[in-house]
Amino acid sequence: MSVLDNIKLTAELVKANFSEGIDDGYDHSTTSAGKKGLRSGRVSELTAIANLKPGGAENLKKIMEIANGNLKGATKVGTLHDLRIVLLDNDTKILFCTAYDGDWDAYIDDFATKIPQLMDIIFGNVEGWPGIKDPSVKQFILDHQITATGWYVGVPHLTVNDVRRNDKIITGLNKVIDDANKIEK
Amino acid sequence: MALDFLKRIFNPNNVTIALDDIQALILRSRPVPYYGTVAVFEINDATQAKLILKELLPIITSAKDWHKNEGASVTLTFTYKGLEKIGLPKDSLDSFPEAFREGMAKRAPFLNDVGVNDPKYWEKDFKNATIHIAAAVIANSEEHWKTKLQEFRAKFSNNKGLKLLKSHDFGATEEVKNVFGFRDGISNPEIEGSGIDTPPGFDRPLKTGEFVLGYPGEGDITKPYPQPDILGKNGSFLIFRKYQSQVADFNKYIQENSRNPQEGELLAAKMVGRWRSGAPLVLSPDKDDKELGDDPHKNNAFSFKNDEFGKKCPFSSHIRRMNPRDSKTFVLEDERLHRIIRRSVTFGDIVPPDVTKDDGKERGQYFMGISANAMGTLEFLQKQWANDGNSQNLGTEKDPMIGVQDSEGLFTMPADPLVKRYRGLQTFNIVKGGEYCFIPSLSALRWISEL
Repeated sequence: MSVLDNIKLTAELVKANFSEGIDDGYDHSTTSAGKKGLRSGRVSELTAIANLKPGGAENLKKIMEIANGNLKGATKVGTLHDLRIVLLDNDTKILFCTAYDGDWDAYIDDFATKIPQLMDIIFGNVEGWPGIKDPSVKQFILDHQITATGWYVGVPHLTVNDVRRNDKIITGLNKVIDDANKIEK
Repeated sequence: MALDFLKRIFNPNNVTIALDDIQALILRSRPVPYYGTVAVFEINDATQAKLILKELLPIITSAKDWHKNEGASVTLTFTYKGLEKIGLPKDSLDSFPEAFREGMAKRAPFLNDVGVNDPKYWEKDFKNATIHIAAAVIANSEEHWKTKLQEFRAKFSNNKGLKLLKSHDFGATEEVKNVFGFRDGISNPEIEGSGIDTPPGFDRPLKTGEFVLGYPGEGDITKPYPQPDILGKNGSFLIFRKYQSQVADFNKYIQENSRNPQEGELLAAKMVGRWRSGAPLVLSPDKDDKELGDDPHKNNAFSFKNDEFGKKCPFSSHIRRMNPRDSKTFVLEDERLHRIIRRSVTFGDIVPPDVTKDDGKERGQYFMGISANAMGTLEFLQKQWANDGNSQNLGTEKDPMIGVQDSEGLFTMPADPLVKRYRGLQTFNIVKGGEYCFIPSLSALRWISEL
């Protein structure tokens, strides 16, 4: 891109941000989330593409159908904002995306002792998956991870735990308010 | 006798690991009282250093009879640079974990060694990573210590292969307290296969592989270890960190944030998780209990299971962060994976609670921690449990004792009727240096000496 084009694009973005955007006071800037991936505030992204084993797509579809969104293992992890599984290229590849708090690689050992079956049931459908207990698993994930080009988080400074805690506080406060406003008849 | 209570229960039928090949430090408790010296060296000449190593071999102590904890023990460890300098083959060097190869100073971003703990402020031998060998002589009496130290020194007095960079004597009498005046080093994990017999009610021993290389760890996973087998098996890793303790600052903070000395003592205990005597808050929530603190059968017999809101012992307290003992978890974590065996020693004198002006003297702790996964464990503890609050459901709050405080300096103390939030905590223990060391087995030391 020429210097002139660059200036032009910057100017357009500044203009669009000014006329159409707003500032919520949060710091949305991105940094590296480790060896790969981006982080904004407390929330990081992990995006990976890998080949599936024959029949892997069928298995994954079945697993997701049975779970119907209720991935209790994901809830147990406690740091997952969301995760997404997309099948690509006629069900031969998987695109895996997740937004999570903090670091994932520090927790690989914990996954291996606490939720090994869940991890292997899902990722065992991926070609070459060494198994969650295998020492090479961190490298396997890194090898398939692609750092996102763009990463935006609406509320970057709150973890899943923070959101759950705040939700409980608000529920409690609302109950107090409702009780106080109750009209005795 | 003070020593008796430290004699852990040994059952020879429970021994499944090669105690006579494992260095004593991994299994022997720090005796009480203790006398010792730590010394760090630079290797000038590999050939000469190997000759010294051959000479030293007979006095390096194995873990055999660890439970008796008699006399003096000699420990010898290598940093990565030391292993490189003494001439380990390249494929052996490459088989060590990345964090060990890089050394502690370089891993600062992974250890949250930032701000006042930044390696640029470390003592020069640590900052420049010039240490090759770290050794320790630890004994249960002054006499044993002096005799063994002399024996140790004699082995290389006429040899220029090693250059002594620094040596530090230390010791503690009957009462093992840190410079804040709190009993320290109470809780240590036990290792399966060492022969330990754990009484009912105590944690079952951790799998051998968590602390000794070459054995299955928790989850029955045997982690890769340095190769060849003779080099890695029965070895372990040592974390060495020098902390300068800002006791006067701590005392001042406590005074300024409490209405009277009793309230101050409670706040100090809430930050630690134990009273000065060592009595845990969970067992004695309202006041110190010296008898409980002194009793080794009782002062560690507790969990946080029935303190689910942290009203006795705050989630943010140092001991609850470092060992959550059946706390409700907010993040999927296996508390048995992040333990270290501590062999720390204190240096400098205790500062009484009424002293709030810093005298500028050096005092603190040489933190020594052992784990087969020492580097990964320290990085986990530093980043997840000491310098963040998400695991404790406390946002970004940090460990009040070892965290690097930010401008907020928050400490949350659950209380009735309303939780208390203290602000403006400072970094009360500042890192002045540190390094990772490999604790080779006795056969590995022999193998190295014959390279």
